[in-house]
Amino acid sequence: MRKLVTIICTSVLAACGGSSAGSKPVVPPCDLTCQDQIGVTGAREMLKLIYNLGLQGQPVGNQDAMAPCPLGGSAHVFGTASSNAVQGSTTVQLTYVLDQCVYDNVDPTTPTQNYALTVTGTFTETGTLAVQPSSTTALGITGTDVTISGTVDDPAVMYDAADCALELQQNGNDLSGTICTRSVGVSL
Amino acid sequence: MLVAPKLISDPSVPYPGGPAGPSGDRRVVLRLVISPDGAVREVTAPDSEAGDAVFAHAALVSARGWRFIPATRGGVAIASVIKFEVVFRDDAARMAASANTTVGNAPAGPDAVTVPTRSSPAGAIAGAEDVVIRGEHGEPSRTASLTRAEVREIPGTFGDPFRAIEIMPGVTPIVSGLPFFFVRGAPPGDVGYYLDGIKVPYLFHVGAGPSVIQPGLVDRVDLYPGGYPARFGRYSGGIVDGEAAEPGKELHGEYNVRLFDAGGMVETPFDDGKGTILVGGRYSYTGEVLSLVSSGVTLNYWDYQGRISYKLTPRDTLSVFAFGSYDYLGQKTPTGTDTLFGTEFHRVDLRYDHKIDGGNIRTAITGGIDTTDLGDGQSVRDRMVAMRSELTYKLTKGLLLRAGSDVQVDSYDVLLNVGQVSAAEASVFNAFPSRTDLETGVRADVVWSVAPRLEVTPGIRADFYASQGATAIGIDPRLATRLALSKNARVLTALGIAHQTPSFVLPVPGFQPGGLPGGLQTSVQESTGLELDLGGATTATATVFHNAFYDLSDALSVLQPTTGGCAPGTFPTDTIAGDRGTQPTGTGGGCGVNRFPPGTLGPDRSGGGGQAASSTSATNAANAFAVRANGQAYGFELFIKRKLTSHIGGFLSYTLSRSTRTFGGQDYIASFDRTHVLNAALAFDLGHNWRAGTRFTFYTGLPRAPDPTDPGSTRLDPFYRVDLRLEKRWSIPNTFLGKKAWVSFVAEWLNATLTKEAIGTSCTLSGCTETLIGPVTIPSLGMEGGF
Repeated sequence: MRKLVTIICTSVLAACGGSSAGSKPVVPPCDLTCQDQIGVTGAREMLKLIYNLGLQGQPVGNQDAMAPCPLGGSAHVFGTASSNAVQGSTTVQLTYVLDQCVYDNVDPTTPTQNYALTVTGTFTETGTLAVQPSSTTALGITGTDVTISGTVDDPAVMYDAADCALELQQNGNDLSGTICTRSVGVSL
Repeated sequence: MLVAPKLISDPSVPYPGGPAGPSGDRRVVLRLVISPDGAVREVTAPDSEAGDAVFAHAALVSARGWRFIPATRGGVAIASVIKFEVVFRDDAARMAASANTTVGNAPAGPDAVTVPTRSSPAGAIAGAEDVVIRGEHGEPSRTASLTRAEVREIPGTFGDPFRAIEIMPGVTPIVSGLPFFFVRGAPPGDVGYYLDGIKVPYLFHVGAGPSVIQPGLVDRVDLYPGGYPARFGRYSGGIVDGEAAEPGKELHGEYNVRLFDAGGMVETPFDDGKGTILVGGRYSYTGEVLSLVSSGVTLNYWDYQGRISYKLTPRDTLSVFAFGSYDYLGQKTPTGTDTLFGTEFHRVDLRYDHKIDGGNIRTAITGGIDTTDLGDGQSVRDRMVAMRSELTYKLTKGLLLRAGSDVQVDSYDVLLNVGQVSAAEASVFNAFPSRTDLETGVRADVVWSVAPRLEVTPGIRADFYASQGATAIGIDPRLATRLALSKNARVLTALGIAHQTPSFVLPVPGFQPGGLPGGLQTSVQESTGLELDLGGATTATATVFHNAFYDLSDALSVLQPTTGGCAPGTFPTDTIAGDRGTQPTGTGGGCGVNRFPPGTLGPDRSGGGGQAASSTSATNAANAFAVRANGQAYGFELFIKRKLTSHIGGFLSYTLSRSTRTFGGQDYIASFDRTHVLNAALAFDLGHNWRAGTRFTFYTGLPRAPDPTDPGSTRLDPFYRVDLRLEKRWSIPNTFLGKKAWVSFVAEWLNATLTKEAIGTSCTLSGCTETLIGPVTIPSLGMEGGF
């Protein structure tokens, strides 16, 4: 539906000779490194979504919450968290248990970052979440028996990281580490 | 050589007086004095009888605004006096409506040309003609009607009768220039489009393109925003009804050539006038034009029309009417062209009309194909076949029966790559399975002249729907009344219930949700209006209306403008990136500050602060598509028109309305509500066959999301635009066909003010701004002609 509306609006502009649509750029195929980058981005975004849906705004201290994944699946998050409202930071030591949790990103302005992923597995998240820019996010994320599957990129490429170990560090907006023993690095 | 004058303006003469006037057929002979510039200098009805005064008055008022190609002697324009015979037919049934106007004789005046009478053996002078015109006794539920000749004078319509919809009262545009409308609060997907009784999926070529029917084939466009006659059904919003011109009695044609397309049509009788054949079409070279300014876009469209009509006997007529349309929008790539959007539809209607004493019976069968191509091998196709029968029968004097039945079968073939899109979009795609749907219904109403001043039209229709094993029945009672307060004033009321299957957000060929999820949409429509003849070819209609909607599938309006629109550094609290520990402000959940209360956990905004783009928008869109909302619309409409073909003509169309939705326990203003919608146009004769026109459009901005930095602002900026039109016409007394002809140079400009339109609000950490599109502007230069 959104596409139709976009198309109609595009056609209006085109009919006026003022279309901004140019030739579709030629993009290289998304190799495994590229796929891993999008895959870990999706996993990180998913944890962030679950946190914001399930814990944000809750009193500091012990946490135990169930959060539905909006596009399907469920998540259980528990652990401890505290905050510093002056600095705008939250310190967390949380465990996320994801069961067939579905998430996607379909943005026509950045099609190479598109994904539709389903994630299952257990993640631990330790460190500081920041409300930028007054503080900096510094996190360690580990996962065991993590399965990330679905599609990445546009045109869509099948992606399947099954039963993998995940070791990620986030410093500011930079996310790096390994997935299925493969090195990965991406800027969020 | 003496050449008689030729009528070139709209010859419509409204059927006068409603039930207050005498019913039945009438003939009025007018005496017209026509100036050398083609204007009607003087008009009288010297032979009219006292009992026909109402009809004579109507004919006189209309004739004052007529324009002619003046009579010529030796190629020099001269004044002339002629007679017109206007025949009124009592056609509350509409389809029986027609009146013949014949150019006849006149006594010679000082500067007059003497034209032999039509009945005279010597009467066959060049240019003597029969002009078929409409004399209609309008339906109470119809708020506006414009003839093709009038539409030609409206800037911004490019001569397309269907484009005149947007100026009619009760019509709210989504975006300026885009031919999708809310009608009295009903969304675009709930507005039905008909051409000669045949449903069509859409009326306009892609985007802001012209209508898919050759303008010369459309005689008139009527808008029925609610409480419409029983013959219209299966739509819970308004009805746009285009009526094809009657088959011509002589060879005629017209054409136009513009910057972006060319089209034409020609019709000729055969077999001594028993039959007529018409062919027409349009072809766009927009792709070639666009290639000059933007190499990345391909845009093409074409359409065609064909009609053959043959009178088997004086009572029996067989007709075939075929038409279709094609649109394509693509994006060029180094290796080819990616299809962004492609649609086409085709219709073939075979009809048999049999006149009976006091009425008419029509039996018709229609076949059609609708296709939408979304590229990447994805497409939706609907093959349909429909049969209908219609009866119009005058039971007694003052009691007209209109009844009919129809059945339609639609076979949908859907190819959508559900597995390659997001889950949210997949949920939308899954609403369109391959299947076969059935719709059938019966309907009847009677036009009953209860008293000399009161006409009542009760009616009812019943429709049965079946799709994927789900069935539904809609019972739609209708009631319309017309009460004549005086010769020039009438009170019109319309009340009706309408049902419709779930609809897609926009009328896109083949995109009809399957399985009747959520049941039928229902609307209850009511209106009361006052219709006035103000004299001087001027009419006015003031109407108040109220529509109630139940189980409405209106994805456009249930998406509340709550995302964005928050103060710098804040986020809506009802979005996943927002701070949920703060106090909500405003509607829709309000905005939260970018810090969190001590003792609570703050948000995770690492990676830029927002969440993935489609997780909210696509999910919201998918949800919006699935939800069913209630709502209502109410307001006031005013339509004042002086015939645009007059020396100075114009109209004013104003709508004051409010459209609301109730969804999820919340009542809120519909996303496309516009409080004020104003259209005003002026067309004037500059002399020497120059005509100019200008049109002003204004409407209130859309509701906007709450913005703490500007708490008093609840609407986006209003929009206005000015359209211009200039025409120079030349008459050609004799052509190689032995016929008079005309040719015009037409310059037209939609949105000459180059106004941009606000469609939303975009917020970043540095502030909020309105999202503007456009300017959507369409300049056009072209030549038009006809004979």
